[in-house]
Order: sequence, then structure tokens, then C-alpha cells
Amino acid sequence: MSTRAVGLGPALRKAALSPRIARTPANVRSLLLKRSIQTESIQAADSAGILNKQRLARPSSPHFTIYQPQLTWIGSIANRVTGSALSVLLYGFSLAYLVAPGTFDSTHVIEFVGSMPDAVKYAGKAILAAPFAFHSWNGLRHLSWDMGKLLTVKAAYSSGYAVLGATAISTVALVFM
Amino acid sequence: MQSLVARSVRTQSLRAVSARTFVSSAARWQAVPTEKPVLQKEFKIYRWNPDEPAKKPTLQSYTIDLNQTGPMILDALIKIKNDIDPTLTFRRSCREGICGSCAMNIDGQNTLACLCRIDRTPKDTKIYPLPHMYIVKDLVPDLTLFYKQYKSIQPYLQNDNPPAEGEFLQTQDDRKKLDGLYECILCACCSTSCPSYWWNQDEYLGPATLMQAYRWIADSRDSYGAQRKEKLQNELSLYRCHTIFNCSRTCPKGLNPAEAIAKIKLELAAE
Amino acid sequence: MSSAFLLRSTLPRTFKAASGRSALLAAVQARHASTSTTPYVPGGPIIQGTVNDPTTFPESDRSHGSYHWAFERLLSAGLVPLTAAAFVTSGSNYPILDGILGVSLIMHSHIGFDSILVDYVHKRKFPILGPVSTWGLRTVTVGVLVGVYSFNTNDIGLTELITKVWHA
Repeated sequence: MSTRAVGLGPALRKAALSPRIARTPANVRSLLLKRSIQTESIQAADSAGILNKQRLARPSSPHFTIYQPQLTWIGSIANRVTGSALSVLLYGFSLAYLVAPGTFDSTHVIEFVGSMPDAVKYAGKAILAAPFAFHSWNGLRHLSWDMGKLLTVKAAYSSGYAVLGATAISTVALVFM
Repeated sequence: MQSLVARSVRTQSLRAVSARTFVSSAARWQAVPTEKPVLQKEFKIYRWNPDEPAKKPTLQSYTIDLNQTGPMILDALIKIKNDIDPTLTFRRSCREGICGSCAMNIDGQNTLACLCRIDRTPKDTKIYPLPHMYIVKDLVPDLTLFYKQYKSIQPYLQNDNPPAEGEFLQTQDDRKKLDGLYECILCACCSTSCPSYWWNQDEYLGPATLMQAYRWIADSRDSYGAQRKEKLQNELSLYRCHTIFNCSRTCPKGLNPAEAIAKIKLELAAE
Repeated sequence: MSSAFLLRSTLPRTFKAASGRSALLAAVQARHASTSTTPYVPGGPIIQGTVNDPTTFPESDRSHGSYHWAFERLLSAGLVPLTAAAFVTSGSNYPILDGILGVSLIMHSHIGFDSILVDYVHKRKFPILGPVSTWGLRTVTVGVLVGVYSFNTNDIGLTELITKVWHA
């Protein structure tokens, strides 16, 4: 049997090249004893403790600050923000009417809005119409997903752009309604 | 010993033969290979060393010549590790998009470094580990929880009534239902691209695991579909999915976890 | 509770006495080490159990699962015709429609807010802030329901108000 077949080639070559003193078993043993590395025996159970100590030092990698802005998740968070903004307005007005029905009744509110300059009125309408339009159209997109439609990346993108377009058009239409 | 000598003689003679055939003409002998122009590109790579845990993670900049590098991001990383900084740490194995080891965030998108071409424009390329994961070192995230979650959905065939003889049989249509599901390599690109998974990964299973849950729910040979679905009937495991679509957008294998999750939701609602 | 604790603390020692450094002892200790030495924090770097244990599921409850999901989708789908109707009708002529729209909008808002709380301040991570905000939201929603009811009955109603404010 050749040395190559049993994989002893490198070891034999090394033994042949190494200095004569290291070749006797006694010398090898004494060399092993004299090595400088200190070892310490620990229980198997301690490994979990060591690992947990390392785990506690680990940082969490950055996420939304480094993730590429994409229509997918920007659109999703916009859906949540616009919905919350409109709901906060509904909640705020209802609670205000509950607490002080005298000051927040329809006549006072309409009078107050009517006394505003036109620029403020149009700006206010745009600020309300845009989130309403976006949340409504995007809501339809979500409903179609939940019915199992438009569930490809391509359809998600084209419907996303469609929602943006529809939002722009309906915002303008609502402001001048 | 004898075979060793024999082998070295053989290789020498081989080399002599091949050299003679290669340099056959004087023109070839004198020809200088056309030098490609130097195309420097800067890579900014996330670094964190567990041996110095107090030091904050930093972006370290490396500049290499793209014309001396392979076409993919993984080639650049290996070049940097070989030539510039051997301490740079990342996982890699197959270099052909089937092992899922080299998943990382490249220029803001999760993908496999081996399947991601280097952008040859002069703009620098930023490389981060998978987002919102605990970092073992540099580009290596701790995926323990991810694998534990995968295990929790019992990713194997369960059937109490195996056929009397032979294997489980399946119609071609039933087999087709598994296409686009079974190809997942569990690289964790999708799960770590999902904002819901960022905020609630200790309880929300994430797109990769949920798509595999559906892979077994959809399998006609598995008889534990009801039990598999019942486990997802809570507010966290499945229903933290808000159909954001980052998962399908980022999948380096072109799979569609968002669709699989939507189908689970429909099946649960129909029960 | 205390007997279980006693059992757990004496078990490893009994094993040690019986079999010395057995593999069983190591396994028992390893299983406890990850949970006892460092406390588990939801979302933290410490994991529950060993790397080979699967994660566990919360108790299944369809009212937090598919029923909740289906109800939310039906409610949202119902809002589509209600909103369209609000554009073409007036609230004072169709007070019932106005009332249904008001209640649906509030429920839709409540579910939306609640899902934000579950996403960002869940009680497993925020044991005080989580329940406080959930119950706070429930209280506020009840107040809003009362407010909208009284506005729809004593005043002109939501649809009419929006129409008039829009053209004020």
C-alpha cells in the first residue's frame, strides 16, 4: 500500500524534514509538557453561561435607517400614518364634543373654519384630502391582497403606483370640490 | 518516499511539455497581456469585533480594483479578505445561491452576496449584516432564533395513515401546489427585511418560516394541516404580517412569501 | 412552587453522587444554565431553552386569530360602500346610514390603533406601558363612541358636518 493511499504522505514528509531530536517519542512528550499555553478545565454546563455572556455583548444590526426606501414598506408605513392621523382627528373631535358640546358644536366649528383666509382653507383641505385619498385607495389594495389578488411583486408595484396616481388626482378633485 | 520522487519528476516533465506547446511562436513569446485599466471601487463594510465588545460597530472602508476582482459582491469580499484584511468575517459556502450562507444587506437590500453583481459605477457600496439581528462578528448574524422558529412549525411530513406499501402518492396538480414553496433555502433575507419581524421577532414567525408552514399545510400527503393551522391562531405568530411585501421584493430566489402568508390567512378564515 | 425548586436544586447533586460526571448530569445542567443564570428578556439576545428546542406558540385563541382578522376585513370592506354613500347622500336625510358610518369608522380606528399597540408596545416587552395603553385606548374609544352618538343625535351628524366644513 502506498503512503499516498492512506493519506500519510504529508506526515511522513514532515517527519523526514524535522530535526532529529523531535523524532523520539520521549522528546515529543517533553515538548508537549513544556508548551506555554495554559488550559483550564470547565464543566460542560458552563458553556451556556459563556455563550450568554457573549450574547449580551452583541450589538443589534441597523435596520430601517439603512434599508433601501422601497414602495413596499414606505407605502405600508404611510398607510398606517395616514390612517392614524385621520383617526386621531375623529377621536379628538368626538372627545372635544363630549367634553365641551357648547364650544365644539357644528355651528361654532363651521363659523370658525369660515372665518379663515382662503389660503388656509385650501391648505387645510389638501392636508386632509391627501391622507384620506391615500388611505382609501391603499385600503382597496389591501382588500384585494386579502382576497388573494395582486399577490405578486409586479402587481404589488403596479397597484402601488396606481394608488399614488389615484391619490394625486382625487386630492386635487377633493380640494376643489 | 519512492513514489514522492516519482511524482515530482512526472510533474516536471509535464510542465516542460505544456510550456513548449504554449510558447510556440516568437510573437506570442513577446506579447504582453493587455492590461485592463484600474477601476477603483470603495466598499464600506460594517465591522464589529466580539473581542472588543465595548467598541461601537463601525463602517470600514476598503478600496479594490474591480478589474482584478470577480463580478459578484462575494468575489469582492473574498478579495478584501485575501489581500487587504484577513480579519473581515462573513459566511460563505457554495458561491452559487443554493446554500444561503452569504445573505447580507448590500446597498440597502437583503440579498445573497454571491448572486449580487457589483455595481460598476464609482459610487461606494455599503454592506451591512442582515438587519435587526444580533451580530456575532462583522457580517455574521446570530440565526439561532430563526432556526428554532423553523423547527417549531415541524417542517416534516406528518401522517398517521401511511400507505400500506410503497411511498405516498400525489397527483400532479397537488405536487404543483408546492412549487415556489419548497425551493426556499432559508437564507433569512426575507424575514430580516420584514419590519414586523424587526419589532416582534421573538414571537412573530416571519415570512421564511410562515412560507414553510404553508408548504406543509399545502402538502396533500400531510394529514396534520388542522393542527398546523390551529397553532397560528393567535395575534402574534402569523397575524403580525401586514402584507408589507418587503419579503417577496427581496427574495434572492424569486419566491413569494407574501402570497403564501396571504393564503394561510384565507385558509384560516375559511375554517 | 417551593417543592419544585427544592427538587430542581437537589436533582443535580443526587445525580452527581450516583454517577459522578455522567453525560446525563451535563445535559441537565446545560438545560438549566441557559434559563437560570441569565434571565430571558423578550426580544433580547438570550434565547429560551437550548439551540435544539423549537420556539413555542402562544395559546391558540381564534378571537385573536382568524375571527379578528376576518372581522377587520369585513368591516373595512363595509366601509367602502358606506364612504361612497356618504359622498352622495346627506347625513340629516339618512341618519341611520350616518350612525353606521360613525360606529364603523370608530371600530376601524380602534382596531388600527390596537394593532399599533400590539406591534410596538406589546405587554410581553412593556409589562406596565402595554396594558396601560391598551386599556387607555379602550376607555378613549368608549368615550368617542358616546361623543359621536351624542353629536349624531343632538347635532347635525358627521357626514353633514364634513360637507359643511368643506364648503365653509
